[in-house]
Formats: sequence, structure tokens, C-alpha cells
Amino acid sequence: MRDNSGKHPRADLGAGVRAGRDLPVGVGYAPAHHGELLQGVFDDGTGRLRRALVTLPQRDRGARATFHPSRRFYSITVENPGLTKVRRAAVLALHRFAAHPATVPGGCIEISSDVPARIGMGSSTSDVTAAIRAVADFHGVRLPEEELGRLAVQAEGASDSTMIDDRVVLFAQRDGLVLETLGHRLPPMVVVGCDTDPGGGGVDTLRFKPAEYDERELGAFQVLLAGMRRAVATGDVALLGRVATASARINQRFLPKPDLERLVELCLAHGGCGVQVAHSGTVAGLIFDGCRPDAASGALRCAARLRELGMALTAAIGVELPAEQVRVTA
Amino acid sequence: MALRTGSVEATEAYQIPKLVRLAPNLYGVAFTLMKMIPARFILRRAALAGQLEPGTVIVETTSGTFGLALAMQAVSMDRRLVLVSDPVIDERLYRRLTDLGAVVDRVPASAAAVPGGYQAARLARLAQVRTEHPVTFCPEQYSNPDNPRSYATVAELLVEALGQVDCVVGPVGSGGSMCGTTAYLRSLFPDCRAIGVDTFNSVLFGQPDGPRELRGLGMSLLPANLDHRIFDEVHWCTAPVAYAATRQLHRSNALFMGPSSGAAYLVARWWAGANPDALAVVMLPDEGYRYLDTVYDDGWLADRGHLGDDPPARPLPVTDPSSQDGPWTSFGWARRSYLQVMTTSVAAHSST
Repeated sequence: MRDNSGKHPRADLGAGVRAGRDLPVGVGYAPAHHGELLQGVFDDGTGRLRRALVTLPQRDRGARATFHPSRRFYSITVENPGLTKVRRAAVLALHRFAAHPATVPGGCIEISSDVPARIGMGSSTSDVTAAIRAVADFHGVRLPEEELGRLAVQAEGASDSTMIDDRVVLFAQRDGLVLETLGHRLPPMVVVGCDTDPGGGGVDTLRFKPAEYDERELGAFQVLLAGMRRAVATGDVALLGRVATASARINQRFLPKPDLERLVELCLAHGGCGVQVAHSGTVAGLIFDGCRPDAASGALRCAARLRELGMALTAAIGVELPAEQVRVTA
Repeated sequence: MALRTGSVEATEAYQIPKLVRLAPNLYGVAFTLMKMIPARFILRRAALAGQLEPGTVIVETTSGTFGLALAMQAVSMDRRLVLVSDPVIDERLYRRLTDLGAVVDRVPASAAAVPGGYQAARLARLAQVRTEHPVTFCPEQYSNPDNPRSYATVAELLVEALGQVDCVVGPVGSGGSMCGTTAYLRSLFPDCRAIGVDTFNSVLFGQPDGPRELRGLGMSLLPANLDHRIFDEVHWCTAPVAYAATRQLHRSNALFMGPSSGAAYLVARWWAGANPDALAVVMLPDEGYRYLDTVYDDGWLADRGHLGDDPPARPLPVTDPSSQDGPWTSFGWARRSYLQVMTTSVAAHSST
């Protein structure tokens, strides 16, 4: 569990903030993700090209935010001053409710998360989204997902689509826009994830220079998106795995995973469908068709092999890992 | 589910092919005018790049369907178009082009007699036309990389509608449609096969240059947009074989297409039959209207001695791409470059 304060969560709440103790708190939760199934540049339907992605949600990890409102404190504090994006998100969210009759001028945000940072699992977006949800919750409001997305992007510059949890979307991560709804849900998949660079320092998503795709890649994204549409609509995990692998390969030019081809080979050798990556992180996931009876056994054999190769496991979606295979902790 | 909507421009509608099942494992990609795809893409990209301001005149040398597609897109974009063509341009195409507002500049018939023939005369005239207008833009379908790139939209449609495609068969001219479509399909399906269909006496894949009856495929020069390394296999067929297949496509599937489509159908039907577990698509570039008085006229066919046997059931495999042992031959190109194939087959030849 990553305790963002590094101290007891309530240790440094100021007296001014605590003065609103009679008010109810707001709470919010947002899940993590495990990188993307597809990321690139796509036509938004008006001819304009936008950076966009399809996230692979990972619902067993996430961030929980609590908003402690204050009537006297005219600002937002976050107990870990390092979480500037969380503070910005809470300020924006509070501003959004400026006209609400029961609003408050400020308060304190407390975050607890088990999402590892800097490896592409969406720790920042889940923190920010949870904070916005906590502020909205205090006001008794459930914000529409798309508004949540816009607020998150305003707060952190680029967000994944973890806040849109009721459908599969192509999400413009720098505009906070849903470009296309691909379907209600992803087909049943088994994914084992690993950190391809366990000794490394991870990636600072916002300092990371956005990929400059060439003309050929722009055309390829059109085709990959078509594959994603069909894979989601028809539940075709084999096709989805091909899309994810192709997207991961295009990204090798920008943020290479040294072991990508070895992972693809390992996955296919055990009946898997392909490999997805965090395009601005270091995690990678081996995808198996959840409708096939051998999916779990193939995934577990791959997980064991990944451990042998010295890679820390970061995700087990749709499969239970044996207890001894300790996963990366926050 | 997205709602179906209308097209804003005719040219937008024209670039969408009909996807028609021809056999359990074979789909035809039937276009009204396939060249609409590169023409529209190239001109729109040029406009976005600021190369097609209101006063800019579009110039191109063509007497075929690419000119027609340019003329249609020029109407949509309200730009002037000058097409430099042979004096032998089809009269009905000429009327259609001029009705669309294009200026069709025909080089004199006497040019046929001078070295380089019409080809050289057309290029010289094109250069002259460019000096007569202050600002011009030439789409250059044979060398403009936007030509193959424009076919990402076809690959997108195929993947969305069919999923995994194992083989693409199509006629080859500029190389744009086959190289573009296949390359984009391979971003998802790297093993997807490409089978190019050519005609004898076309230099595209190593035949000697010579007169050709079959239109819409084959060339007398090597276009820069033809990336030979795309192709797993190349087939050559004669005009009568292509005509017969065109008519069979019409009779058996009610698809009314031109003879380059027939040539591609001939090859695709054979390949799909020989590979029942694989899914193939065949590019069918234009409709049959221009050929009503020829390919679709039994009298015309009989006069030329083309009305006879059905085409062969399978190609004759050849080991030398310059071979003319046909009415229908095939060669394993194996994704090699032009130079690799030529040096190999010359070496094989001199050793025998």
C-alpha cells in the first residue's frame, strides 16, 4: 500500500481544516490500468488528428480519496505536497461546484493507493480521478464520466480513460474526449503483466516526449482501430492480441521494451494472443483468450517463466497467481 | 452502433467499395472508381499542406481513370484541372472530363513517330503547361507516396468487416493499391500474402516491353510506387483470358466490372479454391460500362478470335518472369526486390 503522505494520514491536518469536522466527508475511488491495448493518433471525425488510446483496466488495484471539507479554510491541501496534480484536480472540482448551495471554500484531500507509480499503471490518473470523485461525492453528485475525463485532463495534462468504466472507449488522453465508443466491455481475457524494467526508474509521463508518428504509422493506426472495433464487437481476443502487439511494436521506436519480442514469442508459444504494453511506462501484459479452457494454464506457465527471467509480476487479470509469486507493490 | 449518415461530397461516397462474397472464402472489393481513393487523398492532403490554394491549377498526365477521379475531386474542391493526354483518349471519357470542367490537352498524333512516343511528348507538354500557370500542383500518382498511403482506408474496411485476411489479389499498374492495401493489412497480419496480376509485355515484373491489349493493368515503365518486395506471387494473363473471366464474374456473381477486375478474379478464384481454409480478397478497380462495346460484346470478341474456350483452371508456373508461355502463368516472387529477382533469374538462365 502506497501511503502518499509517508506519515499517518491525519497527522498534519491543520486546525483550520479540521474545523469543518461536523461536515460529512466525500469519498471517491478510481481503478488502475495496466497500460494500453492501443495507442496512437486518430481522426476525431472532423478530420483533425488527436492522440488517443484504449486502456486495459486493472480493477484489483486503485486509489481511494477522501475529501475533508472545511468552511473556514479557503484552499485545498493534500497531505502529501508532492501530489500537486491531485491538489489541482480538487481545486478544479471544487470550482465546478461553486454554485452548489452546500459547497465549501476548501478542504483537505487524503489519498491512499496501491497503484505503483511511474511504470504505466495509471497511478496519477487514478489519484486525480479519485480526488475529483471525492469532491463530487461530498456535494452528493456523481459526475458524468466524460466531464470527469475533462477535469482530469485539465488537472494533469494527459489522463488515461480509467474514469470511463462502463464501456470500452477510444479516449483522447490530452483532450479528455471520447473519440469513439467501441463496445460495452472487453471480451473475457486473461492477462499476466510484468515490469519489463524492474531496476529502472520508470517513466515520468508528463516529461516523456510524445511520440512523433510518421505517415505510414498514421495509416496503420486506422487499421489497428478497425481491428479493435471488430475484436470488441465480436469478442475476438486473438484479433485483439494482434492489435495490441502491433501497437506495442510501433511504440518500440519511442519507448522500447527490450524484451518485447521475447515476450511475444513466450505468449504465442503458450497459446496466447499477443502482448500489450504501457506506451508511456514499462509494464507489459501477455494476453490469453479467456474463453479457451487452456488460458489460465498458459498464463500461469508464462508467469512462472517471467519470474525466472527476473521480471516482477504487475498484474494477473482473470487468473489467480500462486501465493509465492509476489507481485510488485506500491 | 454508429448511425449511417450521408456523404458530404460525391467523391467521398465514390471511394467506398462494395464488399461482396464471391466464394465461401473469397470477397471482392468492388469499386465504381478505385482511383478516387488516391486522387481524393492526394488532393486533400495537398490542400491541408497549403499546396492547393484557390488559384493553383492541378496538372497531371493521364488518359485513364485517375484523370477522371482528379476531375471529380477538383469539382468538389473548386480547383482548375489540366490533364495532358494522348490523342487516342476514349471519346466518352473525354466528354465526361470536359463536362467536369477539366481542360484536356491532347498531344498531337504526330508525337507517336518521334523517339519516346506519346509518353515523352506528354511529359514535355506537362512541363510546358506548368510554366503557363503561375502556381500548379501535380499529384504524380506513380511516385507520390500518398498514393499507396491512401489505401489505409481499404485495409481498415477489410479488417473491420472480415477480420484476418490471408491473401490479397489485385491488378498492378501504379502499384499504389496493392502495395498500400497489403502493407497496411500486414501491420496486423504479417503473413498476409500479396498476389499481383499483370499482363504479358508489361515491364512491371520483368516482362519485355511490348504492345498490350489488356487495359487497366501493366505498364511500360517502372513506377516508383511499385514496391516489389510486397509480392509473394505474380501472375500474367492474356487479354482473352481476362475477358472471359470478366464475363464469368458477371454471369456467376452479377458483378459488372472491367477487364482488369476479370484478370484479378481469375487468379483469386483459383487461389481461394486451392486454399479453402484461408480468406482471400480481390481488388476489382472499375465497372464494366466503358467496356460494353468490347469485353461485353460477343461480336467484338468473336471478330478478334477471343470468343472460344473457357480460361484454364490453373496457371502454368514459370521459373523465368520474362516467360510468355501462357495464356496464364505464375511466378513465385517471394517478396524479393526487382533487382534480386532479375539477377537470380538471369543467373538461372545463363546456367541452363
